[in-house]
Amino acid sequence: MASTTAGAAAATTPSSSKGALKWARRNKTIVGGSLILLTLVVIAILAPWLAGDPLQFEPTNRLKRPSETFWFGTDQFGRDVYSRVIYGTRISLIIGLCVAVLATAIGLVVGVLCGFYKTVDTILMRVMDGMMAIPAILLAIALITLMKASLLIVIVAITIPEIPRVARLVRSVVLSVRGRPYIEAAISSGTRNGRIMVRHILPNTVAPLIVQATYVCASAILTEAGLSFLGAGTPPEIPSWGNIISLGRTFFQISPWIIFFPGLCLAITVLAINLVGDGLRDTLDPRISRRM
Amino acid sequence: MTAYIVRRLLATIPVMAIVALFVFFLLHLTPGDPAAVIAGDDASPADIEGIRRKLGLDRPIWEQFGVYVWNLLHGDLGTSIFSNMPVMTLVMQRLEPSVVLAIATLTVAVAFAIPLGVLAAWKADTAVDRVVMGFSVLGFAVPVFLVGYLLIYVFAIQLRWLPVQGYRPLANGVVDTLRSIALPAFALGMTYMALIARITRASMLEVLSEDYIRTARAKGVATPSVLLRHALKNAAIPIVTVIGIGFALLISGVVITETVFNIPGLGRLTVDAILKRDYPIIQGLIIIFAGVKVLVNLLIDISYTFFDPRIRQ
Amino acid sequence: MKSNVSTAATAPIATNGDTILSVQDLRTHFYTRDGVVRAVDGVTFDLARGETLCIVGESGCGKSVTALSILGLIPPKIGEIVSGSIRFDGTELTTESEREMRSIRGNRISMIFQEPMTSLNPVLTVGEQISESLRIHQRLDRRAAWDRAIEMLALVRIADPKRRAGEYPHQLSGGMRQRVMIAMALACNPQVLVADEPTTALDVTIQAQILNLMLELKDRLGTAIVLITHDLGVVAETAQRVIVMYAGRMVEEAPVRELLNNPKHPYTRGLIGSIPRRKSGGARGRTRGRLQEISGLVPSLREPIPGCAFAPRCSFATPRCITEQPPFEAHGPRHFAACWEVARIEATSSDQLVSSPT
Repeated sequence: MASTTAGAAAATTPSSSKGALKWARRNKTIVGGSLILLTLVVIAILAPWLAGDPLQFEPTNRLKRPSETFWFGTDQFGRDVYSRVIYGTRISLIIGLCVAVLATAIGLVVGVLCGFYKTVDTILMRVMDGMMAIPAILLAIALITLMKASLLIVIVAITIPEIPRVARLVRSVVLSVRGRPYIEAAISSGTRNGRIMVRHILPNTVAPLIVQATYVCASAILTEAGLSFLGAGTPPEIPSWGNIISLGRTFFQISPWIIFFPGLCLAITVLAINLVGDGLRDTLDPRISRRM
Repeated sequence: MTAYIVRRLLATIPVMAIVALFVFFLLHLTPGDPAAVIAGDDASPADIEGIRRKLGLDRPIWEQFGVYVWNLLHGDLGTSIFSNMPVMTLVMQRLEPSVVLAIATLTVAVAFAIPLGVLAAWKADTAVDRVVMGFSVLGFAVPVFLVGYLLIYVFAIQLRWLPVQGYRPLANGVVDTLRSIALPAFALGMTYMALIARITRASMLEVLSEDYIRTARAKGVATPSVLLRHALKNAAIPIVTVIGIGFALLISGVVITETVFNIPGLGRLTVDAILKRDYPIIQGLIIIFAGVKVLVNLLIDISYTFFDPRIRQ
Repeated sequence: MKSNVSTAATAPIATNGDTILSVQDLRTHFYTRDGVVRAVDGVTFDLARGETLCIVGESGCGKSVTALSILGLIPPKIGEIVSGSIRFDGTELTTESEREMRSIRGNRISMIFQEPMTSLNPVLTVGEQISESLRIHQRLDRRAAWDRAIEMLALVRIADPKRRAGEYPHQLSGGMRQRVMIAMALACNPQVLVADEPTTALDVTIQAQILNLMLELKDRLGTAIVLITHDLGVVAETAQRVIVMYAGRMVEEAPVRELLNNPKHPYTRGLIGSIPRRKSGGARGRTRGRLQEISGLVPSLREPIPGCAFAPRCSFATPRCITEQPPFEAHGPRHFAACWEVARIEATSSDQLVSSPT
């Protein structure tokens, strides 16, 4: 397994298209997931050109079925669901990306500190255990209840419960690397901790962190949708997928399209991110992939 | 074995203490004035002052903390700002639907996921395996509310087999309760099923390559018995561990599912509390849900001794 | 595929009368990403009732695959028996249904594996594991099977069998676990016991105890044994007849004394040379039965080997050895070998052979 991974990695480095094709065929999930994600990013960037005004009220067009004018139908205010879904892509991707970066960065710092300093470890890990006992969505709800709703608060509220998982992962990597003879030698020969962390430990955390970041990203997008659905998420004037679904809830029986299209986009996005994550895990860490 | 259980039991105390601390300081460390946020945009200064007094924010912090801990230890989770009812009473009123939903979901998920996972491992790298794994990848991605509304649309609105929404209490007949909980349990169980099926397959695959499986086959043991008697029990520990991890997902999912299906349980209590920014209720619910999660993890740790004789010593 | 039918034709026919197991020109292949591995490439032997036959060779020479083939335990899709026949007490096993094979496995043919540490199920008690085959094959009820399991534990000389039956494998020592494996294998009084390196994973002192136990029980129960080993010391102590395998093929077969005193094939000579002599205590540095001392590497089994598989490592090899496969033919009473140069080798004393330079 290890040798094939090395072979696949080697095949990507030369610019020969043959090698790249071979790599792509072996990593169908990564390629497929990335293509979907790329499309979504393009949609998010080009939203103003692809869609009309997501906020425009048209009282005469309330709850229209999907048609040639309104591809995804309209909601109870006569707004075009298609335009709202297109703009919603932006919100979901921004939240997914921000939470993934923030949670990974903070989790990395916490994890490295815990792996390196015994006293910090005993304190912080207890805190992490406690945080992990609280269901993510409830922790986010509590934070949002106490602060004024905004996109930033939503990002912070979703990030906090994701931190412990990343921290635990990093900590376990640090502990395993620390036990290796060459690190012990570096420590006993008086190399500064900071240097050891940067030179020897951080490189080992990169692969598992990238994989973890994709899962955090997917989970953040789902959590935001859930929070917005419950009315505790992104402010209602912003057209996020969760908000669209939340508003469509009341009219579900007569106008299921209001819920169906954003729900479908949500599922496709999360699926694409998970595919990339699974694929990366298989290529970066075949040892773990055999277990899952 | 008793020592093992006692050790696990003691380990839950600091976790719950941290949860309680966390919930307490969340109220005091959030930037801005929580009383003002809770009161809402068009509240008068008197309203804000009233909420501040109800939350005890006007008293010194150490005193607030003392009262909070004292009350917690006596099973007092505080008082709702708006209804003035004890949070514990509100929770007890809404407990039944949530507990029924959680148990039904757990049962449905385990009952489907483990056979599917075993099947996928047994038929590894065949079409059957790929279908099961494809389902599991999808199950991770599709959000609870989408599955929920799809199920309602197909089974309640189109086929009219099951009620659209609502909950029938156990007191009015178990069959009605089960009918009202069937769709929510499947909707909520989807992600959970995907998770358990996946780990069951992985764990079974690992066990099936062990020497003792070959020994069993060399003894003339038939395939069903090899899979269930010899392999599954050995594969059990990662599976029950994931069932425990997934329980957190399930709790978060309960809140959303109850909203989709209009079930008057703890999830709806949470949503009502969000809309009214009734922080003491949310605070109490966090402690209760965290407590349940810790308890489930404890039970799972104890169940290890049942599956693996090596832990019993 | 049938490139050396002649080899099969000249193979020895049943030695003395009552044959229980007859393997004819067995070929078992495995399918890997890099091609077909010819793990067993034409193996032929007969086993008489109550006989002890040793199959010797380096790891990877196909002995274990031969054993698994006999029990029909080659994992499907990964490998298969491509040709040949295995007749057991008048029944052809290669064409038998899985259901029939199950009723034979553990009942009339049993197997003992190399690693007692990993070959017992860690979550079932020893008693459960022994009584399982009795419940399957002899349809005993739980109670009767358990009592019989305790008898079996006593038979393999485990002290306090009643208590031990209720224990789990991790509570037993390595030697005891192998005794349990033996008890399990013999529970249904099989006619053939296939033992794949049963003592390799054990301490030297325990090895002898386990071998003696097996031989004693064999005499008592009349079981025929196929003992697979890489250890010529074990061969000398247990076997009546020996087959030497190399690269999936048989290179020599003879009664044990004859083989040890008068080896014909250069590979066999190499094997014997690498164990310390009993009489002269001089050869200290050599470890017991380690075969790597023959210079060179075992050939890849991925490509068909046209000539003698040992030729690249053989100091007697001629161009013919590389192009043409030597027939497996008689070179004395009940003594067979597959070598073109037997005459030249017999002319050389064995001492000169061993120290082939690198």
